[in-house]
Amino acid sequence: MTDQTAPPATALPYLTPGTRAALASLLVAAICLALEGRADWLWEWPDAWTLPVTDWISQGLGWLFDLIRPVVRVISTLLRYPMDWVNVALVQTPWPLIIGATVALGWYAGGLSLALLSAIGLGFVLASGYWVEGMNTLALVFVSVPLALILGLFIGIWANESPRARPWIEATLDLMQTVPTFAYLTPLLLLFGFGPVVGLIASAIYAAPPMARNTLLGLQRVEAEVKEAGIMAGATRRQQLALVEIPAASTQIMIGVNQSLMAALSMVIIAAVIGGFDDIGWEVLLTMRQANFGQSFLAGLVIVAFAIIIDRISARMATNRDRHDLRISWIILAASAALAVYAWAALPAASDIALLAPTVEAVDGALTQFTRATGATLDSIKNTAMFYGLLPLRIGLDGAVLPFTWGFSWTATMSWVLLGGGAALGLAVALTGRVAFGASLPVMAVVLETGVADLPWPFVLFGVGAVAWVAGGWKLTRLALVLLALILVSGLWERALLSLYLCGAAVIACAVLGGLLGLLSAVSNIAWAIIRPICDMLQTIPLFVFLIPVLMFFQIGEFSAFLAIILYAIVPMIRYTRHGLVTTPPELLEAAVAAGATKTQIMRDVRAPFAAPTILLGLNQTILYAFAMLVITALIGTTGLGQSIYLALGQADVGLGIAAGAAMAILALISDRIVQGFAEERRRALGL
Amino acid sequence: MTTPDANGTPAIAVEGLWQVFGNDARARLKEARGRTGSAPEAAEELKQQGLIPAVQDAGFEVREGELFVIMGLSGSGKSTMVRCISRLVEPTAGSVLIDGEDILAASPKRLIELRRRKLGMVFQHFGLFPHMTVAENVAFPLKMLGKSRAERRARAFEVLDMVGLDGREDSYPRQLSGGQKQRVGIARSLAVNPDIWFLDEPFSALDPLIRRQLQDEFLKIQSGLRKTIVFITHDITEALKLADRIAIMRDGRIVQIGTPAEIVLKPVDNYVREFSKDVARGRHACLDSVIQTEGPLPEMPDDPKLRIDMTLDDALAACMSCYENVPVYDRDGKMAGYVHPKELADALTVDSE
Amino acid sequence: MKKLAIAAVVLSTIGGAQAAELGDTGTPIRLAINEWTGQHLTTQIAGQILEEAGYTVEYVTAGYMNMYQAMADGEIHAALEVWESNVSDQYYDQLEAGGVVEVSDLGLTAREGFVYPAHVAEICPGLPAWEALNDCAMQFATAETIPQGRLVDYPADWGTPGADRVAGLELPYRAVPAGSEGALIAELRASTERETPLLMVFWQPHWAVSAYDLTFVDLPAGTPECYEDPSWGVNPDATFDCDFLPSRIFKVAWSGFEEQWPAAYEILEAYQLATEDQQPMMGAVDVDGQSVEEVAAAYVEANSEEISAMIAAATE
Repeated sequence: MTDQTAPPATALPYLTPGTRAALASLLVAAICLALEGRADWLWEWPDAWTLPVTDWISQGLGWLFDLIRPVVRVISTLLRYPMDWVNVALVQTPWPLIIGATVALGWYAGGLSLALLSAIGLGFVLASGYWVEGMNTLALVFVSVPLALILGLFIGIWANESPRARPWIEATLDLMQTVPTFAYLTPLLLLFGFGPVVGLIASAIYAAPPMARNTLLGLQRVEAEVKEAGIMAGATRRQQLALVEIPAASTQIMIGVNQSLMAALSMVIIAAVIGGFDDIGWEVLLTMRQANFGQSFLAGLVIVAFAIIIDRISARMATNRDRHDLRISWIILAASAALAVYAWAALPAASDIALLAPTVEAVDGALTQFTRATGATLDSIKNTAMFYGLLPLRIGLDGAVLPFTWGFSWTATMSWVLLGGGAALGLAVALTGRVAFGASLPVMAVVLETGVADLPWPFVLFGVGAVAWVAGGWKLTRLALVLLALILVSGLWERALLSLYLCGAAVIACAVLGGLLGLLSAVSNIAWAIIRPICDMLQTIPLFVFLIPVLMFFQIGEFSAFLAIILYAIVPMIRYTRHGLVTTPPELLEAAVAAGATKTQIMRDVRAPFAAPTILLGLNQTILYAFAMLVITALIGTTGLGQSIYLALGQADVGLGIAAGAAMAILALISDRIVQGFAEERRRALGL
Repeated sequence: MTTPDANGTPAIAVEGLWQVFGNDARARLKEARGRTGSAPEAAEELKQQGLIPAVQDAGFEVREGELFVIMGLSGSGKSTMVRCISRLVEPTAGSVLIDGEDILAASPKRLIELRRRKLGMVFQHFGLFPHMTVAENVAFPLKMLGKSRAERRARAFEVLDMVGLDGREDSYPRQLSGGQKQRVGIARSLAVNPDIWFLDEPFSALDPLIRRQLQDEFLKIQSGLRKTIVFITHDITEALKLADRIAIMRDGRIVQIGTPAEIVLKPVDNYVREFSKDVARGRHACLDSVIQTEGPLPEMPDDPKLRIDMTLDDALAACMSCYENVPVYDRDGKMAGYVHPKELADALTVDSE
Repeated sequence: MKKLAIAAVVLSTIGGAQAAELGDTGTPIRLAINEWTGQHLTTQIAGQILEEAGYTVEYVTAGYMNMYQAMADGEIHAALEVWESNVSDQYYDQLEAGGVVEVSDLGLTAREGFVYPAHVAEICPGLPAWEALNDCAMQFATAETIPQGRLVDYPADWGTPGADRVAGLELPYRAVPAGSEGALIAELRASTERETPLLMVFWQPHWAVSAYDLTFVDLPAGTPECYEDPSWGVNPDATFDCDFLPSRIFKVAWSGFEEQWPAAYEILEAYQLATEDQQPMMGAVDVDGQSVEEVAAAYVEANSEEISAMIAAATE
């Protein structure tokens, strides 16, 4: 039990960290406002202070790449062999045999349900007409994943064996996962040349961190006594690792395998942007280029089918050691082989099967119908959201309030009324005892008046620093400030603020909407039964696919990007909120019921506070997802860092790609650490 | 405090053992020891520096074939102590001699050798390898020794039979009950027939009923094997029941070492007294711990025929109606000394003060 | 029939090539397949011609913007439809380094410009004259751009020609980059179905030009001077106060191509494809759902005489 000393509730001049941070930010905001017009360098980072970081990176890496390219090319050539073999094997093998083998494996791992799932899933792939493309994608996954697994296992063991290297390895893993996937591709392209090998390497790099993390976690979680038992039996360190610790960690490691597979599958699609391989990702991109939603949705669903089958089979093998009768698996396999041999001539070639073409047309037609029928409504939704939400947030009320939008012009007086009102309200709230909240109200008023994209940089630095200090102390503040300063001097600041604004808006929307949906899912099983499969699909379908309907409904622009981000990033918020709320320990609930609490009271006073750390973790995931999706929305036409990354890919500009990717990773990393800090604090407060 | 063994080298000799957790512990311990006179002062200073002195200046000897129990509450350092002796953690200072060999100076290779042949250990939460069957678990130390598969299996069956687990050889640990798991743990630690046996709270995680059953079986096994044992427990009843001698630890220090009777009847301080408070001491202490042997024999009108190995409870019951000194006889019937019934009663109520 | 006749003329005008060795017919020639249908047809037709001449051909999917490194490495041997208006820096880098060579013009005439779907003519009656855009700005305005009109520009990585012209011609519009070709098409689809106003930067040949009945806005004619000299054109203070220059479309090959397959290089050099031929074939693929191979084979069949002549000129 840790002792919790409550802050003094009296009105003594004791200021909580939150209050101090809010007051300090307020002070900086006031200074900036006071100097508006007199000191432009406060409001806009002067170009003269910008360092040509992107050029340096380009030159440095260009030199490095020239140096190592010969070696890398050899690797690239060597990798092409297994890739071709697997590819030929998968494409040339008669499809009944592949389906049969998968169903047999499904049966062995999980019995009837998984066997059925495999049959239906691959049946769907066959019916979609994307069998060959699908096998090409699988070939990529099956070569890149073993690479990722070996790499991940090695890194995980290394981190476990060397406590000194561990923090560095963990930081690198964080980076590997927060740097946007597109940003990987540019340097890889220059280094590995062209074709499927780049996609292979990219997905191997992207899929290695989950394996490494789970390996490390698994090894660390091996019971101390199990390790000691091994040592006391006289095992050497190698024997100990190979015979005791790694096998004992196998469950966790298998979870790593599962996550690696999923990561590789999602990266393979993104890597298709480079081209060079006739896989599903390429197909999704091609159909997307024609704005053919039905067709690209179908191609996307093929990925979903693969993802679900691979996920369920590998997850079952990871967590459940029981196996089903192997003989039935052999029978299924033999039957499919017999079918392949005897009926081969009669069976249609896989690529000629396109049973779903009518459905595709129907889906596309429905989209057209819907767009036509609801155009006016969609426009008014979009306009309302833009005029009264997104625009003010981006450029501030002083820029967004116009006769065309709000019906009147914004004046300086209004600014003063808003700021004064914010201050007065803040003071009133502060007097009721909630000082930190009171002090942050005028800060919010400043943000609303100025707009996120136009905020003076000292205020942003100070504000983020202050929040970081509350969440994680000086260490986090230092980290946040140094990293933000890097963005500032690299000349990507304005774009970073735009990204921050769009992500921030989407995250707020996700938090509210996802929180509510999570709450609904927690109280109603019917709601969860509907929401859950939607969440599953949103997480596995290639992100591109959703861009088309969003575009059809709301056209190119921020609002579409905003919606696309929400579609993807809302999922963890829903899941974690529900999970947090439903896992309240039963004795707490019984105590509340015994105290005569109503359902609402239980939700508000017992479940919600208990779920707070979990919900915060969900929020954290949502933030990371939002940043990941932000890059994809560059395909819709956003103007932030995502656009820079996409631009860099098109122009093969490594410097810009890496700098913008790093800036994005920095934003994600800082948000991540801050939210984790708050979650940690809540957990401690609850004694978890 | 230690009792030197008249029959030559003790099986385990611990001296001046320190285990300090924290950065740069070794140098800072040395510094603190240099500055201050006594171990407690040094420990106090280390604590103020933010270090954790988990074992402080411990010293004791364990004779061959002795069942030595280290008893203390959680956090008293007893588990750390046994890990220092087996060198599962690296002690900060001091020496541990096993059969006269300084184990702290042993090379990694020698250490592995010692563990393979000489040392066995049982863990509180069993420490069974989840991915191996019962037989594979038990055979693991033999595998480390390089024994052939057949040899391993034969020996594993033999030991499993000894702990009453025959028939479960091919089960996995997850399919066993707690008591069965610990039987596997015991069997595994005995597989190579080690000379020295460490048991770290082996029965603490078990139900009281199973615990008593296993304690009895453990005593039975030990009576046949006569191993040198270091047994860790937080349960005074268990300590008193099993031990030849007990060391009581508090906050990293050994506060008392003695036989069960000494611990119960002559606690050195209130801490030890507090431990034995709830123990029905009359059942654990024998007359030998209270009799007077010196001085002239007083007048003894009654003779309830007390024997030196009677427990205090039995003795008191025998002289309910005596009010003067009574004689006490040894096993051969010779008079060994005398005791006053009032002293008997006092011994039983020692902690009511 | 008229279109075929033109193609025949184009093909017959380049009959004077030198006869050359076939070269290494055992190694497949790898042709780049990029992201759009027109290019697929161009490439497929060329491939079929090369096969007819006795070569083996492989089609390799490759990203249009960044395929040149691979081409310089000899992984891809030729790309047959490169648009000058939209070439990445990588191409020029490799051209300078000697990794790739330009073969010759393809003969497609490309046009880029501001376009609008048919129904927009009713919304802004002054079109296609560019001056009408000034009066219609509010009709084209959306939430993000109000009070200016909205011009959907090319994806940012293709440059910002729309924004340049908005500035040059001082149009009351804001150029919104589209992000991708799919985004452009989705805009066209939605606008056509909902009959909402839309002005965007687009190009032909593209199947969407006929599918959505697009009309080009008549901007002041483009000249090279307009791109360089501010004083030229309607706005004396700005460049880009004019329409797009017609874009050259040409063929690019790996620098080792000519040495390894001399005759094939000559065939590719002679190979021409007209806009009038390509556009209906694109429709046949994208709108009618025929396969690229079938459509290309039909073209090769219909023009077999000219093609035989071209092969003969290169090989005999």
